[in-house]
Amino acid sequence: MPDVVPSSGAPHNRAEAAPKPFTPEDEAAVRDSLKRCSPATIEAALLFRRTQDAAHLPVIVLGVIERFVESELRPKLKEGDDDLRLVEDLGVDSLTMMEIVMLVEEVLQMQTNNDELRNLRTVGDVKTFIDCKIRGLPLPKPTKFIPVEQIVAVMPVQPPFLFINEAQVGSAGAQGKYKITGQEFFLQGHFKNNPVLPASIMLEALGQLAVLYLLEGSIAEPGRTVDSTKIFFTSCEGVRCHRVCRPGDVLTLSVRPKRAKMPLATFEGSIRVGQEKAAVAEEITLTFAYAEEIPAPVPAPEAPPVVDVVRTPVAAAPNLAAAVSA
Amino acid sequence: MPKVFVTGLGFITSIGNDRAGVTQSLRELRHGMELYAPFQKPDVPIKVAAPVRGFKVESPDPEDWTYPSAYRIRRDVLRSLSPNALFAYCAMQQAIKDAALNEADVSNEETGLYAASGGSPSLLARLVNQMHTQGVMRCPPLGIVASISGTVQFNLVAHFKIRGASTGFSSACASSSHAMGFAYDEIVLGRQSRMFVIGAEDGNVETILPFAGMRALSASVDPATASRPFDVARDGFVGTGGATVLVLESESEVNRRGVTPYCEVAGWGQASDGHNVAISHPEGTGLRVAMERALRACGLTTKDVDYVNAHATSTPIGDVSEVKALRAVLGAEASRVAVSSTKALTGHGLSLAGAMESGFCAIALRDGFTPGSAHITQLDPACAGLNIVRTTEAVGPRVVLNNSSGFGGANVCIVLRRA
Repeated sequence: MPDVVPSSGAPHNRAEAAPKPFTPEDEAAVRDSLKRCSPATIEAALLFRRTQDAAHLPVIVLGVIERFVESELRPKLKEGDDDLRLVEDLGVDSLTMMEIVMLVEEVLQMQTNNDELRNLRTVGDVKTFIDCKIRGLPLPKPTKFIPVEQIVAVMPVQPPFLFINEAQVGSAGAQGKYKITGQEFFLQGHFKNNPVLPASIMLEALGQLAVLYLLEGSIAEPGRTVDSTKIFFTSCEGVRCHRVCRPGDVLTLSVRPKRAKMPLATFEGSIRVGQEKAAVAEEITLTFAYAEEIPAPVPAPEAPPVVDVVRTPVAAAPNLAAAVSA
Repeated sequence: MPKVFVTGLGFITSIGNDRAGVTQSLRELRHGMELYAPFQKPDVPIKVAAPVRGFKVESPDPEDWTYPSAYRIRRDVLRSLSPNALFAYCAMQQAIKDAALNEADVSNEETGLYAASGGSPSLLARLVNQMHTQGVMRCPPLGIVASISGTVQFNLVAHFKIRGASTGFSSACASSSHAMGFAYDEIVLGRQSRMFVIGAEDGNVETILPFAGMRALSASVDPATASRPFDVARDGFVGTGGATVLVLESESEVNRRGVTPYCEVAGWGQASDGHNVAISHPEGTGLRVAMERALRACGLTTKDVDYVNAHATSTPIGDVSEVKALRAVLGAEASRVAVSSTKALTGHGLSLAGAMESGFCAIALRDGFTPGSAHITQLDPACAGLNIVRTTEAVGPRVVLNNSSGFGGANVCIVLRRA
């Protein structure tokens, strides 16, 4: 089953269909549906319905998510972090996710199916998803959860020098977790009777996550794979540490590609511990190379430019079907 | 046999939204009827109902609902509640507090919850209608949980983190008495040490008016007398809704926690009429057997009984059936044992009735009074030989029977005893 929907043919883009005039009744319906959302959300939705201008979508989507998030968690949304996780950070369970999507569908006059929702894990995922649906673009590769065994299997770097316990990789970037166990060999000397994770290791962890992102193939040319033995560190810029990290801390690592052109890929990265900022790197640049090309069938011309992957069952993803036990 | 006690009560009812209010209404015979606004239409021949006060739950969207400010309910809890599950949620909070239970007492493998509710016909109708008109994928995801008849236990078990036994009972107007009886059994059998028993109903147009087609509702336009069980001119029941929660506990739990129970649940019995789907047996045979079984089960005789809280809903046929059953069971004691129907005050709560009335009996046993049977102008001659008390008497009963009868001829009798 392809994950991507060809843009031609499917009536995703309302602008392409003969647009119905936006009547006062429609406006009243939008206002009623969004009555518990911010005025800005309502205005954006009305503008979108009149103009079909996708620029309004982020405000609408964020406004609808906010409406379903418990008030004490709403300030998090205001930080504008697309990496905010729906379940873990915002308390949005799979049923609430359905409520969010149904309201968005109603207001934006679009349709989705359960399968598509299953892959939405972050606020950014939701925004991208709605945006693609409205514009009639192929859906991005779903965020993929990668457990430690799989990380070990694909990464050139190995324990005891691997600093990712689990990761999620989507087209927009990668997130990972690393728990400082206190057993890391270098903590014996860094520092004397005072174990602190070296800043260089923090940067290393971000670099490793960027490597994983490259290996997952999101920015590779179609039909080519990145050679895991040919990725190396090149440079970094604007690295700042904000917090001392010690055994017991769980680092939340995040990298996003800024630009990528063979043989260089540049990322921005950040590390949080809980909600506290621990470190940022404005730029981490790696060199990479593709594996020797094996003659492969030429992709069909109508094939979408996004690499299809076999969807692996995602243990931690909200499973809509499983939410219903009876 | 191990003993079981009632240690906590919670009420959202037409005669009060807490125990104090309910007690006062029972003592002063204050009823909960009104000319119910949704019935005041030319095509609705029924005018009186006994809705709960302090709640506005007419909107299909629970986030529009208003409820007493003492309760704060999160959106993700509210979204799957029906009106009756909301009432039950509030009554549950009262009962937990009343029984002085802490979080660990409520959520453990030895504590269960049995509930009875007719579901939410209004929500179910809206859900089905929405499915047909807007499409199957445009229905609220939790519409089913909110509307089908298990709504109370689905919601309360999840939200109060109940980990013991849980299920619902569906025997119409006998449902919550069945819940109480089987909850008693769970404790007696040693499977649970504590059970929450809940009866709840929406008590709105959709739960009450379908009984008009059956000609079971009072057509009276006078709220003060519409519900008048045992009166010769009674013409049907008055519908009500709300919720009642009882906390049942084993003797060892009562001793461990050092709480003073309202009363003991001495035992229970049930039997069926095998007669008609909706009409009670003219001789009340099933109810008679239920009462006899209940007394036998707890080793009591009619000599021990001081008060019967009758099922009597104020319908012409049903009240007479029960009168006959009572005469047959009580025999020589019939003229002594006080009988009343508190439905004269509350109206008929359907699935709520049994638990609500057991709650009333628990109060009467602890506080030492016998609730009167209100609104009798002229006693039906068919009641001859029974001691139907018309006013609340300051006489504390020692042993009380609480009767409930439901569709299909199901009859339950709960026996409560002064602790």
